[in-house]
Formats: sequence, structure tokens, C-alpha cells
Amino acid sequence: MDIDDILREVDPASQSIPTETRDLQALTRAWVAERSSPELLHWPADGLFERVNDRIKQQIERVEEMTGDMDPKTNFALIVIQTELERFKYLVRSYLRARIAKIDKHTLHYLSSPDLRARLSETEQAYATRHQALLHNHYLSSFLSAFPPALQNLNDTAGNISMIDAPDLDTAVFIRLLKDALVEGHGTDMDGSLNGKNGDVVILRWSDAKPLVESGHAEVI
Amino acid sequence: MALPLPSGLVPTEVAFLCEMEIITIVPRQRLESIPMLSGKTPALRPPRRADLPLWLALLLKKQRRANIVPPPWLLTASLQELVNLETNVNPEGFSEPPPPPMRSDGRGVARPYAATTSRTGDEDGDTKELTLSSPFLPSCTQDAPSGYLPFHWLEIAETLLAHAADDIPNAPEVRALLRDLQEVRAAKLRASTRHLEGGGGVLKLRGVGAMELAESRGFVLSVVDGVRKLGASIEAGRREEELERREGRGGDESDDDMEL
Repeated sequence: MDIDDILREVDPASQSIPTETRDLQALTRAWVAERSSPELLHWPADGLFERVNDRIKQQIERVEEMTGDMDPKTNFALIVIQTELERFKYLVRSYLRARIAKIDKHTLHYLSSPDLRARLSETEQAYATRHQALLHNHYLSSFLSAFPPALQNLNDTAGNISMIDAPDLDTAVFIRLLKDALVEGHGTDMDGSLNGKNGDVVILRWSDAKPLVESGHAEVI
Repeated sequence: MALPLPSGLVPTEVAFLCEMEIITIVPRQRLESIPMLSGKTPALRPPRRADLPLWLALLLKKQRRANIVPPPWLLTASLQELVNLETNVNPEGFSEPPPPPMRSDGRGVARPYAATTSRTGDEDGDTKELTLSSPFLPSCTQDAPSGYLPFHWLEIAETLLAHAADDIPNAPEVRALLRDLQEVRAAKLRASTRHLEGGGGVLKLRGVGAMELAESRGFVLSVVDGVRKLGASIEAGRREEELERREGRGGDESDDDMEL
């Protein structure tokens, strides 16, 4: 720990931004990233989602308590609280639905290796596994059972062609740099790099953007 | 159940994001602090100014409980300067985004507003850096610098003109200037597609706005992806060649280093 760390701990500027705002920033960023990136991202590891969900639950309870009170002053506060609640719920719902859309599209891909599996939350894993099993059973009962047993799998890799469809990781995305960083990209005719400054908006392939986004040097927009 | 929208934020979602921007208001009524999910709102005491998210400011404005203080960059002088900057001074690129806001740390050192350390878990004391960015930076409050367009400039300006035109001095002229800005910048964004192929896979668009991106996202990204797919075999050939050359020259050296 150096002097900067000590200073940062007692820094009034960092303490004046409440946890709630930071969580909202983190949630918003996760939502935008999930909406714009071609592949499923990691489920937030630091319990962000649980915290947000708990707060939403508490807020709903508060609304229930306040609705009994018909005083016009609290009434307006109630409107504000409910509006904000709806905005949060929209954010959470849209985030989860964007993830489900990606899981639905490439279910077997995300279930195929432990690394990819780890990106899903527990509920998502349960959903993906059960959904895939249901689907496969349905195929089996409707037409796959008529095929020879060797052709009844859905994850065949014969002839160097995998049946499991994977997202295209080279899809282009927009990112914005949050810190100065060297941006390296792969192009068709040549590979390039540029010295990015804080606030730069860059178009590049997701496979090149991913390390920057994961290290917190950039965010997807 | 799954989201049917295409990848990338659509304009309505950008508008949703823009409503989180912080804006300054002058309250006309007292209002106690409200415990919201994103933190407590400041207690409103007229005529003391307060900073609130845009959606709340608009709600208060509609109920005539507050007036909105337009951000300094939305005033005619600032917009004229920006139009001049975009058309004459820098006809190629976009104007600069606002500089990162700074805050005093109470010890005479100015630190970026964005740099905060958040404690992820109290028990393990693990700290993780979280950098605030738009829409959580105060880029539309009364303290925002004039002459810089923030990321959500177009949406903010449109929303304020639609719902709080009486709070913006000289609204018709502001509207006309915004139209000019929008046209100049849209032409630049269209022209930037000329650089899309080539450039080594990275293309910089410093200063572009959120709504401008949302509008041309589909076009720009499909051009980039289309060009990539057309050149996929050439690229694969080039990579193979480079790999061979490196192996041939490198000999017993480690293959991890790129020798160029």
C-alpha cells in the first residue's frame, strides 16, 4: 500500500458517491455490454445482482407500506419511488432477457465447456440444461428416433464440422475508453494499433475489445 | 421471453439511458428527501439549486414543482461556438468530448470525479476500481463546461426543448443551431465510413454522441462485418504467412513474442 492508496481511502470525493449509485452504474454498464456484445458475458461475480434484487424487494415493501397513507405529500414521493422502481425493473428485465436471448441462440455452445458454463448464473444453467433436454427429447420423439443411433446426437463433430453453433467473436462493436490505453486491432489487410485516450470511441472487433472491457479500461457502448 | 431486439442499443434504449443524466433544477416547492434505489434525493428547498436525474427533473417540471437550469453547453453562445468549431476549425473530426470532471479531495489535489474505489465485500476487504462514465458523470449540470458536447447531447437537448422549452433562453435559436450541429455531424459520421475498410481494424470516432451512434450503428457495423467476411480468406492467408515467417526466422526463440 502506498501513499496514494491511503489518500484514496480517506478521499472525500470517492466517499461522496454512494454505493447505490455505483451499483446502478455497474448494472447499467453490464446491461449495455450485454446488449451490444456478440457473446454472453460473465454473470457479475461480486453479488451485484443479488444486492440490486434485495433493494428492489425492500423498495416494493416500502411502497406497500406507503400506499396506506393518503397524505398528498407522501403521495408524490410514492409516485417518484414507483417511477424509479419501474425503471430499475426495466433495466433488470432487459438485462436478463438479453442474456436469455443469447443462451437460447447458442445453448449447446454455452453448455459445452466448464469455462463457458461458468458465465451463466445458477438459474440460467438450470434453464439452459432443462430447455436443451426438453428440446432434444422433443426432436427424439418426433423424428430423430427414426435415424440411426449414431446420428441422434445434437453435438456431432464429424468431418471437422461442429454441429454446435458458436457466436461470431469477430463481430464489430463500439467501445469507449475509460482510461488511456493501447488499442490493438486485427484487420483484413493489416493489424493496427492506436494510443487511445480517455473518452475515445473506437470501432473494432469484439475479440480485440474483450480484454480492454474485462480489465475495465473500456466499456461497450 | 427472450429479448427480440437486435444486438446494440436501439434509440429508445439510448433515450432511457439519457434520462439517467444528472441535471440541475431550481425547485419551486419544498420536497423532503426521497429514499430511492439509486440513493437518496437531496431535500429540495427553494430557491436552492439541486442536481437530480433527468427523468425526475422532468416529472417535477411537468407538475410545475421545479424549473430546469439548462446546461451551459446548451446556450446559444456555446452552440454557435460549437457549430463554428465543427464546420470551420475541424471539418474532419467531431468536436472534443467534455474533459473528465475533477473534484477536490479536500487536500488541495484535484482528482478525477470518475475514479472511485468501491468495496466489493466488507468481510474480505477486496477493493475494485469502478470508473463512472456517462450518464453518471455530471456532464449536464450547471457546472458542466460550455463548448463541449456530452455523450447524450442530442437526446438531452431534444428532451429539454420538448418538455422545458420555457426554461431555455432563446429556444427557437437553440433549436436552429442544434439542427445545424446535427446535420454537420451526421455528414461526418457518413463520411467516416470511407475509412472503415483498412485502418488495421481500429477506427477512432472521438466525440461522437450516443444517439448518432444508435442511428448509424446498424449501417456502420454491418459494413465493417461485411468487409471482414469478404476478406476472411485473404486475412487467413496473411496470418498463415506471418506465422510461417515468424517460425522460420525465430528458430529456437519463444513464439510468444511478435517480431516485426
